[in-house]
Amino acid sequence: MNRRLGAGWLTAAAVVVLTFVAACGSSGGTGATSKGTVTVAGFNFPESSVLAELYGQALAHDGYSVNYKLNLGTRKVVAPALQSGQIDIYPGYAASELEYYNNGAGEATADPVATTAKLNTYLAKLNAEALTPSQAFDGNAYAVTKATAARYNLKTLSDLTPIAGELVFGAGPECPTYKFCLPGLSSVYGLHFKQTLTLDTDGPATRAAFKNGSIQVGLVFSSDADLNALGLVVLQDDKHMIAADNVVPVVRTAIATDEVKKVLNNIDANLTTADLVTMNGQVELLHQDADAVASAYLQQHSYFA
Amino acid sequence: MQARLFLDIVDPWINWTWLSTHIPYVLGAVQEHLTLTAIALVGGLVIALPLGIAARRWTNLHLRPAALTVFGAFYTIPSIALFALLIPYTGLGILTAEIPLVGYNVLILVRNVLVGLDSVPPEVLDAADGMGYRPFARLIRVELPLALPAIFAGLRVATVSTIGIVTITAVIGLGGLGQLILRGLIESFHTPLVVATALCIVLAFVADLAIALAQRLAVPWARNP
Amino acid sequence: MSLLQATWQWLTDPAHWHGIDGIPTRVEEQVHLSLESVAIGALIALPVGIVLGHYGRFGNLAINISNVGRAVPSFGILVIAFQVFGLGDVPIVIALTALAVPPMVTNSYVALREVDPDIKDAARGMGYRGLAQLVRVELPLAVPLIMAGVRTSAVQVVATATLAALIAGGGLGRYIVDGLARSDNPRTLAGALLVAALALATELLLAGLERALVPRGIRLLLASSTRRASTFKTA
Repeated sequence: MNRRLGAGWLTAAAVVVLTFVAACGSSGGTGATSKGTVTVAGFNFPESSVLAELYGQALAHDGYSVNYKLNLGTRKVVAPALQSGQIDIYPGYAASELEYYNNGAGEATADPVATTAKLNTYLAKLNAEALTPSQAFDGNAYAVTKATAARYNLKTLSDLTPIAGELVFGAGPECPTYKFCLPGLSSVYGLHFKQTLTLDTDGPATRAAFKNGSIQVGLVFSSDADLNALGLVVLQDDKHMIAADNVVPVVRTAIATDEVKKVLNNIDANLTTADLVTMNGQVELLHQDADAVASAYLQQHSYFA
Repeated sequence: MQARLFLDIVDPWINWTWLSTHIPYVLGAVQEHLTLTAIALVGGLVIALPLGIAARRWTNLHLRPAALTVFGAFYTIPSIALFALLIPYTGLGILTAEIPLVGYNVLILVRNVLVGLDSVPPEVLDAADGMGYRPFARLIRVELPLALPAIFAGLRVATVSTIGIVTITAVIGLGGLGQLILRGLIESFHTPLVVATALCIVLAFVADLAIALAQRLAVPWARNP
Repeated sequence: MSLLQATWQWLTDPAHWHGIDGIPTRVEEQVHLSLESVAIGALIALPVGIVLGHYGRFGNLAINISNVGRAVPSFGILVIAFQVFGLGDVPIVIALTALAVPPMVTNSYVALREVDPDIKDAARGMGYRGLAQLVRVELPLAVPLIMAGVRTSAVQVVATATLAALIAGGGLGRYIVDGLARSDNPRTLAGALLVAALALATELLLAGLERALVPRGIRLLLASSTRRASTFKTA
């Protein structure tokens, strides 16, 4: 009887231990000497994953130990994570970062350098800094279906002004309070839509809403590669509401050594908007992995030479 | 089977080529999923077992109604909410994911620990006392073994439940197979989505079977329908 | 201001009680989704469980349906359904119905199996056969456990309906998901509390309904078995 009970406990314990062993399995050995560990995060859309992978792989190649936290969330989740030190780097967009850190004060302009400089005045107080902005640009863009564009003869956002009241607009949860979204559309273009649906920020719900006709105008990103395939066309920002949303790495000062800055700035110096569109296409249309796409890009541009 | 031309982009439900080139990626997700699940189960048990035992022993503390009420209330709160609320305090890591998961498991397991211990016939307890067992020894050698069937039943329910909820930790950057589901959603890419969902079901089955087997080994004198 | 105070303020703000994102609207959406899912689930699950339980064969089938059902991740089903059906209620209803079915199948199967064989013998002796026996004798005795299954399903569904917000759906999950996206914790906590309250209300309402519907005699007879219902969380 005692032996049976003993065997029972032993088995139960074995199950637990085995589960642990299986689960904690291989955590992968790190390189012998590492210059330190950095955590790179990305927003929850594919382009951000690609950019994060670009930064991360370049740093890894340079000898750093890199952790990734991709698809982490919106800026409201990612920025606090940086401030609290849970992540070290994220690929930001200059004007949007500025308007986030200055609480929507409206200081961003079309000049990426000036915008980034202003951004750094805010980041300095938070022990962070933005490096050199890239010429690669990705800002909010507003799209309509080709059918809608044809029907109302739409080419620019100004064309929307007279008919906005007949249309339904879809965007993400942060749109109503985000300067380059509803407030901007309203103040710069005088757009007042029939209805605004809260969907997601350039995500699957917005695309689905276009498809089933729930919305006629929607928020997308200017470097999206799948718009044409989805039958969408972007309306031109003729009054220049969107400011300099150039790609810029936002890093914690603690890890922003000259070496790190050099690696990151090197990537951004050569990154173009066309590159963004191409890489987005590979991820969104060809379903390639963000890390593979980033890897291929780095190889092509001889970063690993 | 081709996907409906919902987005006018043809995308098979399972792209076998993609799958064959992404085995490590998928297995890595499975491993992360299992790790999160295992931690939640062990954590739940580590809390539920002493809690259940204490609730029965020190009835004047009214631990039983208190525990059931507190953890019961916790149980009704959706996991996404708990993750979101914990982020400012516990950050974006495993702790944030595990606190709710462990909390849910405590409820399931403590109920079963209590039912199991309650079900020990009083005659057996008397006999044990008569044989000279002191309270602690009686607990370890008589009561708990007899309570094992109920505890194992609870473990099975907790395991299958946890495997499902772990997918939701993807919204805070974790989640193992949940990450594949999220990728399927964000990129409108069917294969990781379908593969991950199928694997969750398989994992749940295998885990359930493993625990049932362990139960059969550990508690050969009892069969649970 | 602490989180609790801020949440209280959010909940008592009259602006949050109006309009498309107001509390009444969101609660109504949550209830609507849940009702639809539990109803459809019941339509599928109860006949299956009752028939299998009555004939006593394929008992393993009932258990297996339940086991498979429990293993299915709601998030996965939701996204798959979204890929097929797009925006709207259909994906979440599918996912929630899949969630609602297993407890109702299990409980109705067990409920029918647990009917005292002596009573069934007596019924047969009184001339009841087949369908009549099922409907007039077995079902009334099985109602408490079946209702317990419906209650379990309903509470799970009400809580899990929050997932609808992940695919831009409505319901109380919106407060949670939007709160997460905006780092607006009072909104998230308010949403969480509202869902918990709704789940509790569902539990109490259905328990009360059950008490009202089941004859006292049967309730006393089956007092012990109604505790069998076990809740099961999937979100």
